[in-house]
Amino acid sequence: MLEIRNLHARISEGREILKGVDLAVKAGEVHAIMGPNGSGKSTLAGVLSGKPGYEVTAGEVLYRGRDLLAMPADERAREGVFLAFQYPVEIPGVNNMYFLRAALNAVRKQRGESEMDAGQFLKIVRAKLKLLEIGDDLLQRGVNVGFSGGEKKRNEVFQMAMLEPKLAILDETDSGLDIDALQTVARGINALRGPERAIVMITHYQRLLNYVVPDRVHVLSGGRIVKSGDKDLALELERTGYGAYGDAA
Amino acid sequence: MSALAEIQPYVEAFNARPHAPEPAWLARHRERAMRRFGELGFPTRKQEAWRFSDLRPLQGAAFPPTAAAAEAAPADVAPWRYDGAAHRLVLLDGVFAPRLSAIGDLPKGVWLASTAQTLRARPDLLEPALCESDALGAQPFVALNAALFADGFVLALEQGVALESAVEIIHLGRSAGRSSQLRNLILLAPGSRATLIETYAGEDAHWTNAVGVVAVGAGAALRHVRLQHEGAGAIHLGHGRVELGRDARYEGLILSLGGRLARTDVDVKLDGEGAVCGLYGATLLRGEQEGTIATVVDHAAPRCTTREYFKSVAAGRSHAVFLGTIGVRPLAQKTDANQLSKNLLLSPRAAIDTKPALEILADDVKCSHGATVGDLDEAALFYLASRGIPVAEARRMLVEAFAAEVIERIEGDAALRAHLGRHVARWLAGGVA
Repeated sequence: MLEIRNLHARISEGREILKGVDLAVKAGEVHAIMGPNGSGKSTLAGVLSGKPGYEVTAGEVLYRGRDLLAMPADERAREGVFLAFQYPVEIPGVNNMYFLRAALNAVRKQRGESEMDAGQFLKIVRAKLKLLEIGDDLLQRGVNVGFSGGEKKRNEVFQMAMLEPKLAILDETDSGLDIDALQTVARGINALRGPERAIVMITHYQRLLNYVVPDRVHVLSGGRIVKSGDKDLALELERTGYGAYGDAA
Repeated sequence: MSALAEIQPYVEAFNARPHAPEPAWLARHRERAMRRFGELGFPTRKQEAWRFSDLRPLQGAAFPPTAAAAEAAPADVAPWRYDGAAHRLVLLDGVFAPRLSAIGDLPKGVWLASTAQTLRARPDLLEPALCESDALGAQPFVALNAALFADGFVLALEQGVALESAVEIIHLGRSAGRSSQLRNLILLAPGSRATLIETYAGEDAHWTNAVGVVAVGAGAALRHVRLQHEGAGAIHLGHGRVELGRDARYEGLILSLGGRLARTDVDVKLDGEGAVCGLYGATLLRGEQEGTIATVVDHAAPRCTTREYFKSVAAGRSHAVFLGTIGVRPLAQKTDANQLSKNLLLSPRAAIDTKPALEILADDVKCSHGATVGDLDEAALFYLASRGIPVAEARRMLVEAFAAEVIERIEGDAALRAHLGRHVARWLAGGVA
């Protein structure tokens, strides 16, 4: 599904942050990428999703055999790559429902599916809202406008559930959530696990991994993956901290 | 063209105008106004109020008033109609078109008719529409309008009359190389209330020069929408003069979408204590369009409120201008006024000039103003793209949201907001590259 080879990237005109990342994620797998602050976690998410402001200086990323980095961000999304934002963006004046329908229809069009009619759309929306315990009123507001931190994160997972991506990248989706919200979000993520889908969770803490158990855990430090293992690696990190990996954070 | 050659076609049109039986006072008024236009000539960039305006599309050719109105069918009016309006008056090339209009049943105390009809039946109503400043002021196009106008509309409400359904005026300017000189009058007697939607449309290189006089009496309230969606070759000049009495409320919204050269001037005088004025507007421009909004708000009485909120979007090689002045006279203590101009510059070849100004001569007031010019929010664009929405559509959505913020100022009338939103969407369908 996803193959990252020797990826080097920097902030445009800035210092290098990713210094040779290698990672392979197969369909059906859930991977966790953990690491201290400043290790390059968010840069990796940004580069994979096509966020402006980064520059790839070496290496390549293959997504389902295609050169992911050659695709503009909107095309990546239509091809099935989804990024759950660490800080979802507020867009006043763009209605949440209108936005979601535009996104879903863009993705469906790419898959060769017909546009969804309003009734069908609403039915699916209702079901997914229930899964993530989001009130209907949220849909009438502007995108992320007036949402609490927890609502924003749930809304990200809700969008993911609606768009049914092939590759989901979750950037610190667990941060800032209380335990109830964390469980709700985890339920949303688990509902999406399947043999056709790969999920990459980027997180600082092990907490989320109690609820979404990963197949593989990687430690990103100093812009490289320095250790990989199974779910027990996350537990070990929780005990020992990141100190052993070149950062005290 | 030289200055004299520029005004010559209009002088000739004035001299050749058909001598309709008009009251003597009106004929005198026209003569004085025409002389004034001759003295003033076309404005130049040396004049502060016109320094950002490129009048070449207007000065490069003559636009005499239409001799005979073009043909139009109901289907030509249909795209502009607001379904929420119960009374519709249509003007074609500056002249009342009864067959296209649907005035409907007017409640007692409401007068809605063309200016020419009003002149025949109720000349008393019309006198206030023509004022000293036509012949003495510094506005050449207002003077020219006073000299040449043939028609327009008059809406007059008697004391205490509340008109529940909206009144709609649609003007189609269809004759290329000709002008429509419209003189409109809106008179709300004390305690009355109305909603008025003026729509200006047309396809050709037609010049519409519309002057509207609005008087809102004590405790009366007017919601006044002005939608300009003329064709890409059109020239539109609109000048509104608004006077508010004690505790009067005026809410004016300008949506300017069309025209090669479009300028709307609004002068408001808050003349009675406690009057409230809201002025809102959005100008969307692309290609070679130039769009100007110029407002002058005069606080001449204490305890009045002004809220001004204007936005512009400039794509392509277009040019958006906002000139806004709020003046507070020494007597106008406890004035509460603010003014905000927000602008989106979508192309490196587009230009935006915004000039908000306060002139405060009273000491106990609350006044503020501000202006911003920026591009679309990069983070929002990426967020939309990251959900698969193509970049062009994402840009369109953000521009739509930008304009929607102005339309939302019309509180409590979802149908009217939706109507204006559809016009914005229609404009956006043409692209914002």
